[in-house]
Amino acid sequence: MAKEIIRFLILFVVLTVAQAVVFNHLCLFNVAVPLVFIYFIIKLPVNLSVNWTMTVSFLLGLTVDIFSNTQGVNALACTVLAAVRLPLLRLYFPREDDMANPDPSLQTLGPGVYMKYLVTMVTAYCTLFFLIEAFTFHLWLLMLARIVASSLLTFVILLAFDSITAKIR
Amino acid sequence: MRNLLNFLLKYSSWFVFAFYVVLSCTLLFQRNPYQHHVFLTSAGVVASGINQMSSNVTGYFALRGINDDLQRQTAQLQKEVLDLRAQVRRYRELQLQDSLRTIDSVSTFNFIIANAISNSISRPYNYITLNKGSLDGIRPEMGVMDQNGVVGVVNVVSDHYSRVISMLNPNFRLSCKLRGTETPGSLVWDGIDPTRAMLEELPKQTRFHKGDTVVTSGFSSVFPEGIPVGVVEYRARGNDDNFFTLRVRLLSDFTSLSTVKVISNTALAEIRSVETDPETSSGN
Repeated sequence: MAKEIIRFLILFVVLTVAQAVVFNHLCLFNVAVPLVFIYFIIKLPVNLSVNWTMTVSFLLGLTVDIFSNTQGVNALACTVLAAVRLPLLRLYFPREDDMANPDPSLQTLGPGVYMKYLVTMVTAYCTLFFLIEAFTFHLWLLMLARIVASSLLTFVILLAFDSITAKIR
Repeated sequence: MRNLLNFLLKYSSWFVFAFYVVLSCTLLFQRNPYQHHVFLTSAGVVASGINQMSSNVTGYFALRGINDDLQRQTAQLQKEVLDLRAQVRRYRELQLQDSLRTIDSVSTFNFIIANAISNSISRPYNYITLNKGSLDGIRPEMGVMDQNGVVGVVNVVSDHYSRVISMLNPNFRLSCKLRGTETPGSLVWDGIDPTRAMLEELPKQTRFHKGDTVVTSGFSSVFPEGIPVGVVEYRARGNDDNFFTLRVRLLSDFTSLSTVKVISNTALAEIRSVETDPETSSGN
């Protein structure tokens, strides 16, 4: 248990620093911004209580907010994402108690379900993030482009993360 | 009570969710950026520390681009400086021309203001290039002086530029005298010190004092009489019984030559024609 906590703590720090130092400064074609720190929320064990999930997600969003000067945007989006995570997962994988390992991954969920889970989470987060950030719809075409492009970019980067962590183990 | 507790436990996740949403929204709707708590912005200790560390590393990546930008900017500024300098030079020429006009009317000498665009002082034979040429009225064998004294004599002229034999050139000999006397000597550079020259062939009976001013004699028709050239420093070796040589400190500062006056003698053609007249030349 303690080992798990330390593992997630390290993941938390690594992801926030990576987001603050590297990914916040990336913006491809003025539309695609990688929001990779949500990998932490995606990777939280499914048997973790919803309250805890929301708490750590809120803290994660708040930390990223501090680094990127977007007060409250990521915190709100992360909280909402943590709240909808389990219902989303149940859409694709009805009995999470059947999972051999509570960590959602390519191996435990199977490639198809995991991909769907990943795509849905990323798209949901990007939609939330840009909706909250823009808060008006007068640039809706640009916002739509941002949502789609950022989702794609984030998804690709998260797949790369997955392949790296799979190799390490 | 028990029911209430059960209710709270059952729906606790909703309360937690609402709590965090409200908390983030309070942060989110603090629209005035001055009300942000410093710890929640990138100016906070942790965030700024990490950003500083990362910029220490990533700062190097942009150096090439920044360098290019700076080069471009430097080139632009240099161009502006050159433009302004040219403007200042032009105004200075106009000003000098204005202030010299009164002299023009009373003498046969005219002044053409020019700028030295290249100048050497360290070679054995030094030349100066001016930015005025034959189209501006400059002809070979015109004298050149700056605000302090004699500089040289025009040697080669093109349409827009001219080359001047500097006084720091052994080919240039200038007929000079000590102010207050009428005995002429010949001023020549000995190739050693760009601030000093020798006044040679002074008759033995000439009296001089240290600090006397050496001026042009006016015998050469290139320079009008009385233009200051230098100041006597001391008597140099005398290799002739009838003449002696003075060490002269030059007044013109050849290390910082900029605006000069080219002296055009309107009577020069007349003087030449007189001098080349067969009768007078045979009489010489």
